[in-house]
Amino acid sequence: MKFLDRPPRFLFFTGKGGVGKTSVACATAIHLAETGRKVLLVSTDPASNVGQVFGVNIGNTITAIANVPGLSALEIDPQAAAQAYRDRIVGPVRGLLPESVVKSMEEQLSGACTTEIAAFDEFTALLTDSALTAGYDHIVFDTAPTGHTMRLLQLPGAWSGFLDAGKGDASCLGPLAGLEKQREQYKAAVDALADSRRTRLILVARAQQAPLREVARTHAELAAIGLSQQHLLINGILPQSEAENDPLAAAIHERELAALQNMPDVLQRLPCDRLMLKPFNMVGPTALRQLFEDTPTTTEIAVDSPLEPDEPKLSDLVDEIAQDQHGLILLMGKGGVGKTTLAAAIAVELARRGLPVHLTTSDPAAHLSETLNGTLDNLAVSRIDPQQETERYRQYVLETKGAKLDEQGRALLEEDLRSPCTEEIAVFQAFSAIIREADSQFVVMDTAPTGHTLLLLDATGAYHREVGRQMDAKDLHYTTPLMRLQDQHRTKVLIVTLAETTPVLEAANLQADLKRAGMAVWAWIINASVAASKAKSPLLRQRAANELPEIEAVATQHTQRHAVVPLLQQEPIGVERLLTLVGH
Amino acid sequence: MSTIQIFDPALCCSTGVCGVDVDQQLVDVFADIDWAKQNGAQIERFNLAQQPLVFAENPVVKAFLERSGAEALPLILLDGEVALAGRYPNRSELARWAAIDTVAENPASGCCSGGKCC
Repeated sequence: MKFLDRPPRFLFFTGKGGVGKTSVACATAIHLAETGRKVLLVSTDPASNVGQVFGVNIGNTITAIANVPGLSALEIDPQAAAQAYRDRIVGPVRGLLPESVVKSMEEQLSGACTTEIAAFDEFTALLTDSALTAGYDHIVFDTAPTGHTMRLLQLPGAWSGFLDAGKGDASCLGPLAGLEKQREQYKAAVDALADSRRTRLILVARAQQAPLREVARTHAELAAIGLSQQHLLINGILPQSEAENDPLAAAIHERELAALQNMPDVLQRLPCDRLMLKPFNMVGPTALRQLFEDTPTTTEIAVDSPLEPDEPKLSDLVDEIAQDQHGLILLMGKGGVGKTTLAAAIAVELARRGLPVHLTTSDPAAHLSETLNGTLDNLAVSRIDPQQETERYRQYVLETKGAKLDEQGRALLEEDLRSPCTEEIAVFQAFSAIIREADSQFVVMDTAPTGHTLLLLDATGAYHREVGRQMDAKDLHYTTPLMRLQDQHRTKVLIVTLAETTPVLEAANLQADLKRAGMAVWAWIINASVAASKAKSPLLRQRAANELPEIEAVATQHTQRHAVVPLLQQEPIGVERLLTLVGH
Repeated sequence: MSTIQIFDPALCCSTGVCGVDVDQQLVDVFADIDWAKQNGAQIERFNLAQQPLVFAENPVVKAFLERSGAEALPLILLDGEVALAGRYPNRSELARWAAIDTVAENPASGCCSGGKCC
């Protein structure tokens, strides 16, 4: 493995969700620890599952992994980090100031902005030489899916720039009290990221067209902010031997070969490693140790049970959705499970039935137009672009709230609007506008990967409380975006998952998180199911057999309503193939 | 030289651009304070969400919070004594406290500069 050759101190794994980042990061950490190094494995994913992989509760403190000597792990949980931050600020005045005053502080410090900043703060501490990481030879980051990682990584650059400009008193770095002290730390974090002797970035992808294009974009964006030393790792390639007697396996194999041959030029130049698809799930050190081994699956696998379960199709769900004539359909789930594809499929099917549909995404990394690859009557397509929304919001505030300011005042406001928090608000505003639209037509929304969306909902909740405070005082009626999201007549939440152990667990966690936010999940969609396809290759049949208990668990334990979408021979791109996914 | 201290309620930031809706008052007062500082005024601002210890350690502010609660903020002290509470000062109040000569100034702050508001 080239990416394991003379590894520097910091290793970052990035890529679209579902490509196996967590597995590769965990396997790398185990590998390094077993060569005698001290290793710290860090997840910055708000919906981390590193703990699940090792069967240990990790959380926000560094935890030794008992069955892998030399390995410790840490999950930076933005919510927990924000709580710790609130305790630090509020703790000293508890008892000194009246309880109602303390409560108003806590409310102010419970927004998405505090959460994001608190998590970021912990992240930079790990990158800079602190006592925290002194004992470790390597720090392996299993970073959050692409869009979120970008924001995390771009912040040090943006903030250093923001601080250097030095106009005004940079008051809107907000929750970061003691800013000057942090300044050194951010600068050091930027330097560490850009230093190829200290940092290596490993782009993880599957051998599929869309994910590879995505990775090429990430490569360019990260190179532009100084992360120059990059490796490419193609995970989960179907071995050629499987393709012999199975049309599905043969189609997948050819599709993968073609995707690798047509890989964007920028990626061809990177040092590249390939990992073969394994017949087992990547849970536990024993399975993870085999990830980097190329042992072909020679053992003939005996599968007795029928492999094509008679499960509901996506079209069954669309039938029910269509009855309402309008509404918001939110697709949620971890990155890479196929939210974009399924959102497009549902929208296309509704439009085909003559219903007006707006298909949109809040995922900065999603590319609906590439998935759709065409147009259809009744179907409008858009996206919430964080940069565009932020710019629009800045202009709006300057033109309205800043209208009466003199030149100096306007310059100050403009400076303050460059705060990292503005984007959070701007995206939320755009999100709210789209939610309102669903009162009169169908809006199908492909959301950003779970963690990011939870932060967005957090902002929605903060807004709801704020409006509630103001309106209750005046005894007025009101409807906030959160109330629309919680109303099952207006909003249907669909969780998308794969029929594998970890994705199903993650989906169940997401369902619990949503329940806490007062949102009920309407249905689950199991995507890219091998069991629902007609696979003959031994490896695929073994994977299909592994899926059956997972599908069973979804249907009996997790939801009242579900659909299973088969893995297709062709990549589901274009209107025709999307309709095939629905079940036509 | 007099010192003006402004004790803000719990804010994400003092311009309020982080809030769910930008508060016009905060935008205006931010500009006015900057103007007064440019003219030599000594002004300190404390945010309840960020520097609560300053609130707890100042007997005047602490007593005010105990009496009236955080809803009654902002509180403005001039040399340690209450000058204003429940709203932010405007430009002319800041000028009076800081002894800024406004006759020579030509405040460009909108249509209210003539003293008659539109």
